[in-house]
Amino acid sequence: MSTETTPVIPLPLGAARAVTAVGALATTASAFLAWTWTADFPGDLTVTGYPGGLQWLTLTAGLLTLVLALASYGVPGLRWTSPSGSDNGLLYAAFGGAAVTWFTIIAIAIDLNGLANLEPGGWIAGVASLVALVGALGLPVDRHPKGTSWGLRLAKTDQPLPTARQLPSTVEVLLIVVAFAIGLFAITFGIDTEYGELFTGYLILAGFVIAALSKSGLLPRLRALTIKHRPIATGAAFAAAAGFPFTQTSDQYTSVAANILIFATVALGLNIVVGLAGLLDLGYVAFLGVGAYAAALVSGSPASPIHVQFPFWAAMLTGAAASMVFGVLIGAPTLRLRGDYLAIVTLGFGEIFRITMNNLNGTTGPKITNGANGIPRIPDLEILGFNLGQKHLIAGVELGRFSNYYLLMLVVTAFVVLVFARVGNSRIGRAWVAIREDETAAEAMGINGFRLKLLAFALGACLAGLAGTVQAHVSYTVTPDQYTFAEALPPNSAFLLAAVILGGMGTISGPLVGATLLFLVPKKLEFLSNYQLLAFGITLIILMRVRPEGMIANRRAKLEFHEADIPAQASPPSESALTKTGA
Amino acid sequence: MHELPQQLANGLILGALYGLVAIGYTMVYGIVQLINFAHGEIFMVGGFGALTAFLALPGGTSLWIAIPLMLLAGILVSTLVAVGAERFAYRPLRGAPRLAPLITAIGLSIVLQQLVFSFYPDAKKARVFPKIPGDPFELAGITIQRSDIFLIIAAPLCMMILGWFVAKTRSGRAMQATSQDPDTAKLMGIDTDRIIVMAFAIGAAFAAVAAVAYGLRTGQVDSRMGILLGLKAFTAAVLGGIGNIYGAMLGGLALGLTEGLATGYIQHVPGMDLFGGAAWKDVWAFVLLIVVLLVRPQGLLGERVADRA
Repeated sequence: MSTETTPVIPLPLGAARAVTAVGALATTASAFLAWTWTADFPGDLTVTGYPGGLQWLTLTAGLLTLVLALASYGVPGLRWTSPSGSDNGLLYAAFGGAAVTWFTIIAIAIDLNGLANLEPGGWIAGVASLVALVGALGLPVDRHPKGTSWGLRLAKTDQPLPTARQLPSTVEVLLIVVAFAIGLFAITFGIDTEYGELFTGYLILAGFVIAALSKSGLLPRLRALTIKHRPIATGAAFAAAAGFPFTQTSDQYTSVAANILIFATVALGLNIVVGLAGLLDLGYVAFLGVGAYAAALVSGSPASPIHVQFPFWAAMLTGAAASMVFGVLIGAPTLRLRGDYLAIVTLGFGEIFRITMNNLNGTTGPKITNGANGIPRIPDLEILGFNLGQKHLIAGVELGRFSNYYLLMLVVTAFVVLVFARVGNSRIGRAWVAIREDETAAEAMGINGFRLKLLAFALGACLAGLAGTVQAHVSYTVTPDQYTFAEALPPNSAFLLAAVILGGMGTISGPLVGATLLFLVPKKLEFLSNYQLLAFGITLIILMRVRPEGMIANRRAKLEFHEADIPAQASPPSESALTKTGA
Repeated sequence: MHELPQQLANGLILGALYGLVAIGYTMVYGIVQLINFAHGEIFMVGGFGALTAFLALPGGTSLWIAIPLMLLAGILVSTLVAVGAERFAYRPLRGAPRLAPLITAIGLSIVLQQLVFSFYPDAKKARVFPKIPGDPFELAGITIQRSDIFLIIAAPLCMMILGWFVAKTRSGRAMQATSQDPDTAKLMGIDTDRIIVMAFAIGAAFAAVAAVAYGLRTGQVDSRMGILLGLKAFTAAVLGGIGNIYGAMLGGLALGLTEGLATGYIQHVPGMDLFGGAAWKDVWAFVLLIVVLLVRPQGLLGERVADRA
């Protein structure tokens, strides 16, 4: 696809660059001014000489814009920040700066009732960020040929990057480590945000910065590096994740992080079922529930009718095995049929699981689960004499209960990632993808469709059960209402599915990112609480129309969802009638 | 109360309700191969449309006048919602991979439920729906609630009208042709888009009739009533053979009977004494679905295993 390289606002190149750079510099500087007169607005933006709260975000955006603008000038030593040589990245960065700055100004005006509450510093920041944006709009950016009427639709197709300079591999490894350290810092900042305004600003900025870095070519470079040094990159990612509890002083956010990990791990398990094998499972959270209940029953909780206390490894195996048994029981009759039947049977199973757990309370059924009250007081785990419920001093940092569970959960996550990666790239994984694409053709190639689908379904159930065993201990209590189809708070089946789809089907990082976002957004933006599910539903509908392949798209899925953008001869229309819903 | 004829009658009445909602699933599925997950919510919206009409009428209006007006309002609201959903949510996704419209349907179902929950006055809890006053009457030893008379009349009437429409009218035959082969139907000059809209609209209208019957029967409507009923109705559609309108009604009746009998008799089976009663009826309905899928996956009246993918 051809692209045009023209500015949106016709400005001479030199002037546009200069305006952008000056605007970016002024934006950066304005973050150090006082923006408002009272400390009533959270984050204390009243101090001159030191940025606070949302000003840090403006500062970040300003600096990034400045660096990219200087790279656009070709300043030696900064050219590496824009390997693509395109100014699209710069435009996104300037957009991000303007968006986050004006978001702050509007938030101040709304929170404190009126623009009169702004100090001159706030106005300077607003004007400076707009100046940078106007300058960036005057730069020659690659635009989508069809998008000229809107003016802002940037080119989707990425030009191939120029070949990278050969670096010594130690430097490359160092770069990966630095990148993951920055990533850890950025995510920690997001989890630690204390008020809704800061989190919203953070999300806005994060979106623009990621777009800017990928257009400037830095993220694709980094991706190339991680592919080259995959074991080191994976190790660095997990080391960064393991570093999180050490940055925390209280249990407040580690509990959030532990729950994010549980949610993300289950989403990754669901991704095997939905993303790889293409089976729509609408009751997946029930498998988490089966694992959690199984673990709770053998945990030695005084409310459990089975008075045994399994060691942790045995409890884990019990939970995983119980989930797998249910997976096979549900899957075996349904997987012989078309996929739609599976959707409805799993949805039914999810509901029935909850109803059954409610009924096994001694009055309407055998006394096993205590009904709606659930199984409370699940004791903390003890692994090799290490009690996860107590505080421990490690490397000078005190790790609380949730930090311990976070680290334990990280091991489970690593295991699930390993399973996903190994199975996904194996003969089995390729067979799943073949079945997903066209079951009839796959069977003609000698793939046993039913057996492999059942394997995917059972494996997915088993991994969810595994995560469930840890979840039971993290949350002290298991109740039936934790495992519903759609609820305002994750994990539930609808949110799990959304995490997979939002993040990107068939990828590892997609569901992890999607789950993190879906967990944090409702948690941080409490003003949304009454309309959370509504917003969630609308997001699902819009997402399916705009970007059905998710945020982190699998290359194959991307091609499949955007068939219309591929030149006609690549996919004859007669073929699509066979694989699609038709009509 | 625990006599067999009574349990059978209860089961059949409940089953007719399932059958009416199942028609909507089966028609849409038969034509576009889409499980319209939002159909349960369209049922729910129809109930609230009828309730709105009732509240708008002056107090003390005779139910003889009120019920037809409520029915009309319910049908209007649910049909509009269903046609709007088809036009703006499903139609743009035709030709997209199978998962995309399914997920849209889930999103739509959440949106409809939340819209009613958040914005309909006092819909956070169940709202009171009028009942037909008077004592239940007895017929050949079977006690029938007066409110169920509506359903007993409406369900067969609806089925007769639908049967006539599909078999005799031009549009109905076009619908049959489209469900058999949409591409060829298009070549024969059938406006398949119009047929699809029609399928959504008919399904929604039937769901609204069912919603009024549900409201009269239980004396309340609430924003979450579509979830379980939608699930049951889809089960009924699968049970009867999906794509077959008579199958949907038959499946509904079979499901209703199963529930009625399970509620009444399961506890008399040795060893199952704790699994009877109303608390477990949904579980038994689900077990029936699994068993049918194992034994006769094409459903009671289905002729072929639907496999067009």
